[in-house]
Amino acid sequence: METLQTFMGGFAELLDPTVFLFMVSGFLIGTFFGAMPGLTSVLAVALLLPITYSIDVIPALVMCAAIFMAGMYSGSITATTINIPGAPSSMMTAIEGNILMKRGKGANALGHAALGSMVGGSIGALGLMLFMPLAAKLALLIRTPGKFSLVLFALVVIIIVDKRHIAKGVVAAFLGVMLATIGIDVLQPIPRFTFGTEMLVEGIDIMPIVIGAFAISEVLTQAQSWDLSLAETLNASKGMKILRRDFIPKWAEIKEIGVFTYLRSALIGFGIGMLPGAGGSMAAFVSYATARGVSKQPEKYGNGSQEGIAAAESGNNSMCGGAFVPMLMFGIPGDPTTAVVLGVLIINGLQPGPRLLVQQASLIAPMFAALFVSALILIPLSLFLFGPYFVKIVSLPKGLLYSSIAVVALVGSYVATYSVFQMTLALMFGILAYVMRNQGYSTVSLLLGFILGPDLETYFRRALSMSDGNPMVFLTSLDSLFFLLLTLVFVYFILFRKEKAATAESS
Amino acid sequence: MSKLKQFTGAGLLFPIFLFCLTTVYLVATFNIRTMFGADGGVGPKTMPVVSAIIMYVALLRVIMTEFLKTEPEEKSFQSHLRPIGVAIATGGYILFFVPLGYWLSTFVFVAALFLIFKFQTKRPLLFIVYDLAITAAFFGLFAGLFSVRLPTLTGGIL
Repeated sequence: METLQTFMGGFAELLDPTVFLFMVSGFLIGTFFGAMPGLTSVLAVALLLPITYSIDVIPALVMCAAIFMAGMYSGSITATTINIPGAPSSMMTAIEGNILMKRGKGANALGHAALGSMVGGSIGALGLMLFMPLAAKLALLIRTPGKFSLVLFALVVIIIVDKRHIAKGVVAAFLGVMLATIGIDVLQPIPRFTFGTEMLVEGIDIMPIVIGAFAISEVLTQAQSWDLSLAETLNASKGMKILRRDFIPKWAEIKEIGVFTYLRSALIGFGIGMLPGAGGSMAAFVSYATARGVSKQPEKYGNGSQEGIAAAESGNNSMCGGAFVPMLMFGIPGDPTTAVVLGVLIINGLQPGPRLLVQQASLIAPMFAALFVSALILIPLSLFLFGPYFVKIVSLPKGLLYSSIAVVALVGSYVATYSVFQMTLALMFGILAYVMRNQGYSTVSLLLGFILGPDLETYFRRALSMSDGNPMVFLTSLDSLFFLLLTLVFVYFILFRKEKAATAESS
Repeated sequence: MSKLKQFTGAGLLFPIFLFCLTTVYLVATFNIRTMFGADGGVGPKTMPVVSAIIMYVALLRVIMTEFLKTEPEEKSFQSHLRPIGVAIATGGYILFFVPLGYWLSTFVFVAALFLIFKFQTKRPLLFIVYDLAITAAFFGLFAGLFSVRLPTLTGGIL
C-alpha cells in the first residue's frame, strides 16, 4: 500500500516544470524517432544515454518512459499513411491501416491506432504500478540457484524467440556474455582478458555497446540501404491532407470493436512485455492474431479492420509497462528499449531488484507516472495537435538526419568519460553490429547477453560455491527447478509445438 | 564461380572470424590466475570456458549451414562502399577530435557525411550553412545546455 502511495507521488513530481519539460521533449523525440522509418525508440534512448551523465536521474528516466511510449505508438503513423512501419511493432497496423488510407480513411485508422495505444499504454502503466509490489515480494522468494535459472531462462527465451536463426542467436548472445567477462572478475579482484592494456581493466561499459549497436550501425545500415524510390514515396506524402476532426473514431466503431478487445489485447501485451527479448512486435502480432481468432468479423482482417488496428496497437503499447517488470526486479530487460533504460539506471547508481522498490521507489515512481500520462494524455493530444503534419516528418532529408545522429552518438560517447577510447569502442561495436545485422545475427541478443552475462556467472558460481560444487542444487532448489521447467516449456512451445502445427498445416 | 563467392562471402567469413576470436579468448582464459582456490570447483575461468565451448558449437552449426547453402545471399561489395566511407570518416573524426577540437573536426566530419549521403552537394552555400548549423546546434546542446567541456583547437594537442 505504501509503495502504491509512493507511485502516486510520482504524478506530483511530473508537475515540476523541468521534469514536465523533459517528459514532453521525450514524447516529441519518441514520436519523431518512432514515425521515421529506420529510426526507433531504442535509438532515441541510446542517444540519450550519454546525456544522462549530465542530467538528474528523475528527468532522465521520465524522458526514457515518454520516448518509449511515444515511439511505440508513432510507428503506426507511417505504417498507415505510406505503408512503411516506422517501427517493427507497427507491422500489423500497416496491414490494416494502409488499406483504410487508400480508401480515404487514413485519419480514421490513425485515430483507432491512437485510441488503442492510449488504452493499452494506460493499462500497461497501471498494471506496472499494481504488479510491481507483488513482483518485488516474489523476487525476494527467489534464492541464488533460482536466480541463476531465471537468468538462464531469460537468455534461452531471447535466443529462441527468433527460431529461424537459433545458432546465430546463440552466437550473438554468447558474444555478449564473452564481452561482459572482460575486466575485473565478478567475485574475485582478478583482471580478465585485458591483454596487457589498462584501459580494459575496468571492463567494457554498456554505453559504447548501446551507441555502437543501435546508433552507429544504424547510420552504416542506412548508408547502405539508402533507396531513391523510398525517398520518392516519402516526398509523395508531402501532398497528403489530413483533417483533425477525422482523427476522432466514431462511437459505433468503438462499440463494434468492443471494450473486451482492448482489454484482452492490453493484457496479452503486458504479459508478453514481461518475457525477455519478446518486444513490441510479438505483442502486436499475438494480440492481433488472438483478436482475429475470436472476432465476429474475421473476414475484415487484412481488408482494413479497425478492430485489428486497435488490438495490435493496444498490445504493443501495453507491452511498454510489462517490459519494465523483469528489468526493475531482476535486471532482465523485457525488450531492447528497457535494456538501454537499464543502462540509464546503472549509470545513475540504481541497482535493479526488490530493494529498489523499498529504498528508491520515489526515484522510479515519476517514470511510471510519465508512462501513464504519455499514454493517456500525450498520445491523443499530440495526434490532435500535430497529426496533420506527422506524415511530413518522413520527408526530412536523410543526409541531415543521419549526420546529426552520428554527431550526437560520437560526441555523446566522448562526453561520458572525456575519452576518445569510448568513441573508438562505439565505432568498433558499430561496425560489428553492422556486419551482424547484414548476416542475420541479432544485435538485441548481443546486448542482452552482455547485460545478463555477469548475473549468470555470479549466480552460477555463488550457487555452486554454497553447495560445495554440487550441480544438483539447481534441481533440488524448488525455485530453480520451477524456472528450469519453465525454460523447457518455452522451448517446447516456441520450437516444437509451432513446428508441429506448421507441418500439419502444410500437409 | 558461385561456390567461390560463397566461400569468400561474409556469410562464411564472419563466423570464421568469430571462431578465431573465440580461440584467442579461450587461450587467454588459461592465462587467468586465480588468487585462491576456486569455490565449489568453479572460478574466474569457468564461465569463459563454458561460453567458449557454446560459441564453438553454435559457430560450427552456422558455418555448416552457410557451407551447405546452395544459393549465396551475399550483397555486392558495391553496396558496402557507402558504409565503408562512413566508417572511415568516423575513424578520422575520432582520430582528430581532440587535436583539432570540436568545431573543426565536426565541421569536416559532417561535410564528409553530407558527401556520402549526397546531401546538398550541388548547392555549396546551402551545404556549408547546413554543416555549420549541425555543428553549432550540437555544440549548443552539449556545451550550452549540458555544460560539457568539448575539446578546442587551441586547447588540443596542435
